[in-house]
Amino acid sequence: MVEAKNLCMKYGKGKQLALENVNFFIDRGEFAFFVGSSGAGKSTLLKLIIREIKPTEGVIKVFNRDVGRLPRHRLPYLRRNIGMVFQDFRLMEERSVYDNVAFAMIVTGSSRREVKRRVPHVLNLVGLQDKAKAKITDLSGGEQQRVGLARAIANRPAMIIADEPTGNLDPGTALDIMNLLRSINLRGTTVLVATHNRDIVDRFRKRVLYLENGKLVGDEQKGIYTNVH
Amino acid sequence: MFISGFIYILGETLKGLYRNRWMCITSTGVVMVTLLMLGLFMLVNLNVRHITEAVKEQVEMVVYINEEADRAAVEELGRKILGHREVARVEYVSSEEHMGRLQQQLGGMLEGYDSALDNPLLASFEVRTEDPEAVVRLADEFEAYPGVAAVFYGQGYVENLFEVTRVVQVIGLALMVGLAVTAVFLISHTIKLTVMMRKREITIMKYVGATNWFIRWPFLLEGLLMGLVGAALPLGILNYLYGSSIEWVDVNELMFINLLPLQTVMAELAIYLVPLGTGLGILGSMLSMGRFLRV
Repeated sequence: MVEAKNLCMKYGKGKQLALENVNFFIDRGEFAFFVGSSGAGKSTLLKLIIREIKPTEGVIKVFNRDVGRLPRHRLPYLRRNIGMVFQDFRLMEERSVYDNVAFAMIVTGSSRREVKRRVPHVLNLVGLQDKAKAKITDLSGGEQQRVGLARAIANRPAMIIADEPTGNLDPGTALDIMNLLRSINLRGTTVLVATHNRDIVDRFRKRVLYLENGKLVGDEQKGIYTNVH
Repeated sequence: MFISGFIYILGETLKGLYRNRWMCITSTGVVMVTLLMLGLFMLVNLNVRHITEAVKEQVEMVVYINEEADRAAVEELGRKILGHREVARVEYVSSEEHMGRLQQQLGGMLEGYDSALDNPLLASFEVRTEDPEAVVRLADEFEAYPGVAAVFYGQGYVENLFEVTRVVQVIGLALMVGLAVTAVFLISHTIKLTVMMRKREITIMKYVGATNWFIRWPFLLEGLLMGLVGAALPLGILNYLYGSSIEWVDVNELMFINLLPLQTVMAELAIYLVPLGTGLGILGSMLSMGRFLRV
């Protein structure tokens, strides 16, 4: 599903490597945490997976395709198979909950009928069925992240990538969001989460890939943050 | 898929125009003023060209025949001039005909003058060329022909006419290009501001997998609409202004000002201004979006 081979990333000449010789393979349906302190290279790795940036050296394969070599016009089709969840939610605040989710489907070419059928369903999955008409600014942080999750799964992606999805949330709400991600994973979607939230990682006992100064220093199935470290 | 996408794009275009209405009104206004100036200049240019073309049409040269030339020499000269590939029409005017014309022009002043006894006027060939501007060159050539006394084509005046026409055309072209570039700059600047205001939305669209064209369409339509309105209003204003000018010329009986008919001029202006306005709008959008799409 996602494979990195001798992956290196350097942002500019003379700068330190953001990623150095990283190698891993994540299979279809897996749930994996990328952990490490700030600047360890977690976000860089996620950016490489969605081809927001290209690797300086090495190969990153997603769905068996070398995304570093993917032509620009093919990028939208790669991203339609990846649902993104962000720490800062990245929602359109002037629009309703329904519109934010529907937006992701419309821009990828879903029919109106499909949108009308699917959006209430995904809002139900994340527990926001009663908030469809609410404005984003009227929601709590946890609710906003649920909208982000609903938007990420609206197009039935094969993989969800979440970059610090609980970074702006209190512990209770963070746990709710992680439980939602786990239930999404149980339906067969691969889930990759970049986080430095120890409690969450230790509680879930999933695969943990530990990054330190751009190097992959640990990779453990059913791992815990502390053990890998 | 097609219908929902189309409705979405149309909705986004209208919402974009509404959200940034003041910016859009300002920008459309500037485009309107630019195109109005362009249209005004085109109006003047079209009419100047029309008038100069009409004057050019009247440019002819008169080849005066030597008094000593016999009938055969005159016929030979006539054949030679008519045979020239740049000559459109040749008319022989005898010295008697010249005198007749002169008497007609001067009216009673030559009463009693017996031109049959003493006619100082030379016979001539009146020559029209295919291209009026060729008269200057052909005059030199014909002057060297045997039997030619002199060639007259309004020396000095004709050269000035051609020079003025050329200058008007060059200035017109330069002004039109300048105004078009200004319009592109203004539209692209406005759209850039609206794109910047919607940068977050564009980034989200890129992350969920929207194609660049799907993102571009609402902005392109915005530019197109701004250009279209920016062209339609000046056309209306110019229609009114030009109509009034024709009326004014008519009322004041200024027949020497030979203006083009209203419909001809407006059709010509519409052919240029509408595609130009919409084209500038689209170009402005394209120029302003480039770097925002590279996510």
